[in-house]
Amino acid sequence: MTDVRQVEDYFVGRFAAMGGPCEVLIDADSPYRARHAVEIAEVEARRIERKFSRYLPESVVSRINASNGRLVPVDDETAQLLDYAASCYEMSDGMFDITSGVLRKAWTFDGGGRVPAADAIRDLVARVGWPRVTWKDRELTLPAGMEIDFGGIGKEYAVDRAAAIIGGEISDPCVVNFGGDLFATGPRRGGRAWRIGLEDPDHPGRTSIDRLDVSGGGVATSGDARRYVLHEGKRLGHILNPKTGWPVEDAPRSVTVFAETCSEAGTLSTLAYLRGRGAEAFLRAEGVRFRIV
Amino acid sequence: MQLDESRPRSVRSKLRSAACLLLTAAAPRMVQAQDPAPSPTPTNQFDLTGLFYSERIRVLEPTIRYTRISPGGRTFSGQFGFDSITGASPRGSLSSGQVQTVTSASGRRRSIAASELPTTEFSDSRFAVDAEVQQPAGPFSFTLGGHFSHESDYESRGVSGKLTVDLNHKLTALTFGGGYNSDTVSPVDGTATGLAPPGRFTGIVDNPKHVTNMLAGISQVVSRRWLVGVTGSLSTEDGYLTDPYKILSVINRTTGVPISEVSERRPDTRSRKSVQGDSVYHFTSNVLYLSYRRYWDDWGVKSHTVDGRYRIPYDESLFVEPHLRFYTQSAADFYRYGLIQGESLPSYATSDYRMAAFRSVTLGAAIGFKPSRSTSEWTLRAEYIGQFGDKSPPGAVGVQSTLDLFPTINIFSLALNYRFNR
Repeated sequence: MTDVRQVEDYFVGRFAAMGGPCEVLIDADSPYRARHAVEIAEVEARRIERKFSRYLPESVVSRINASNGRLVPVDDETAQLLDYAASCYEMSDGMFDITSGVLRKAWTFDGGGRVPAADAIRDLVARVGWPRVTWKDRELTLPAGMEIDFGGIGKEYAVDRAAAIIGGEISDPCVVNFGGDLFATGPRRGGRAWRIGLEDPDHPGRTSIDRLDVSGGGVATSGDARRYVLHEGKRLGHILNPKTGWPVEDAPRSVTVFAETCSEAGTLSTLAYLRGRGAEAFLRAEGVRFRIV
Repeated sequence: MQLDESRPRSVRSKLRSAACLLLTAAAPRMVQAQDPAPSPTPTNQFDLTGLFYSERIRVLEPTIRYTRISPGGRTFSGQFGFDSITGASPRGSLSSGQVQTVTSASGRRRSIAASELPTTEFSDSRFAVDAEVQQPAGPFSFTLGGHFSHESDYESRGVSGKLTVDLNHKLTALTFGGGYNSDTVSPVDGTATGLAPPGRFTGIVDNPKHVTNMLAGISQVVSRRWLVGVTGSLSTEDGYLTDPYKILSVINRTTGVPISEVSERRPDTRSRKSVQGDSVYHFTSNVLYLSYRRYWDDWGVKSHTVDGRYRIPYDESLFVEPHLRFYTQSAADFYRYGLIQGESLPSYATSDYRMAAFRSVTLGAAIGFKPSRSTSEWTLRAEYIGQFGDKSPPGAVGVQSTLDLFPTINIFSLALNYRFNR
């Protein structure tokens, strides 16, 4: 059964999906509406996970990755995610690339000091590049040896979807938070903001280093809190530069962005992170609310 | 690898329109159930339960339940159960203080120790299938269910329906339901002639039994922490309501020694009514469930049940829930601990202890465990039920007044449930 409990004057429901803890906060009087909201979120999270997880052999993504160069027709929803990924590639000048996942094969981000051999990285970089994918008319051809994944899009998309479905059924304000990427449907009753803690990158899962007030919209964080390697005294986060195959240099510990949707916030925080030292300048130029640690 | 800095905010505006396209285009599909592709994947939930309980009988009852929750809110659930029952059930006859031999309704003979209440050895198996579909539609929710079970001497077929209406911004919910069951009782060796010596049969192989029930309820959210509800139900039964294997002893009016036996006989209609009140109170994290049920029927059985559970979550993965229940019932009008030799036979009579006046106490606890990073959940429930009746009823004559006519019944049960999603 979904775990829903009352905390102060609102309800919190928790479940695990998409590789992490998921949480729904509902500012409602009725435990039944709260439970209903949590169940909607859980159903939608599992649906999207099952459909798009690269770890599940029956997912659309696994099917595409196993296509071995053959043409794969896809459904509307997958097409929309691919269109979105294509837009992200274009507007980031190739820094946001859903084919870059193969690079992870070389890296083990366990907090240790193992760095892959240069030729191993070179071989993998040769298997990355969205322009080599043929994507039109709801048909995708992925060259053999390449892979796609919706990391950096899928979870944020699931948050927005779950929040939209809940909002269509329940008018109570709520926050959908899947593994730290979240969306608030509106301010709490009485106009109060939701208080969102910002995780301390040095103590992931334990402490908040800041409190962010959110009255509505999406919030997403990119960072190296849990996954990094140490190399020549530097801490290298798990987000890889698709052009070099190496982790982004001089990247912030974490980038949190506020936007109208969680998908937008997630893409902006990833793009900012990919710019390394330029993250702050980028976000300032974009005119969004953010927090860099 | 650097973005073109000369185009400030261009990324954001492009991104916004891309995200807008992503979300608005995909959103309506969730509500358009008629759109076949891509079908939003429903949640599939499996419950595996093993129930073991031990009284005079030992029952092992594994069940598997499958629940499919579609994103639109429709729920389908189906359950399959298989029970294996072995043991000895009290037959209703009295002990004599001497070794006695007992003929059962099915004509078998065996000897038992003198001070024990006679029981019937039996071994049976049963399988049952249930299915239910629930469909929400705006403030309404419709539930339709079907049921079938089979064992060698009993077959049951039933349908049920329920309508729930949410009112007052879902603070109030009204429920109306009804059901109909058509059962067939086919006693193993034939249908015993009531109040006649065991071994005499009516010649009817399959005895019909019909059950109709109706219920109406209201539940109300009183405050953020408190929910209350009241449910009334009405049920009528007609057909063969006798327990085909139970008998009564006919005893000597002065010595109290059992002389002979007759099969029991119950009326062929029964009207049952009950009213139940429920309360669920959420403390900061603990939850208290309380209920009281008043039951009465036209056989003269009246009962009170008070039930309380208290759920204590320790963290997200563990909870403990103690359970306490008190029950008391009055005897059916035609309950007799035995019949007196020479007295005229009543129209109906039973010695079934379930028709006697008794009190029962249930003590139990459940422990739930949900491994982190997993959708599976384990629940272990252990319970003790003690049933206490009148060991020396005032009318007991002769040797019967020295014997324990309602030995305390101790039942232990253990149920393990494993739930997972696929």
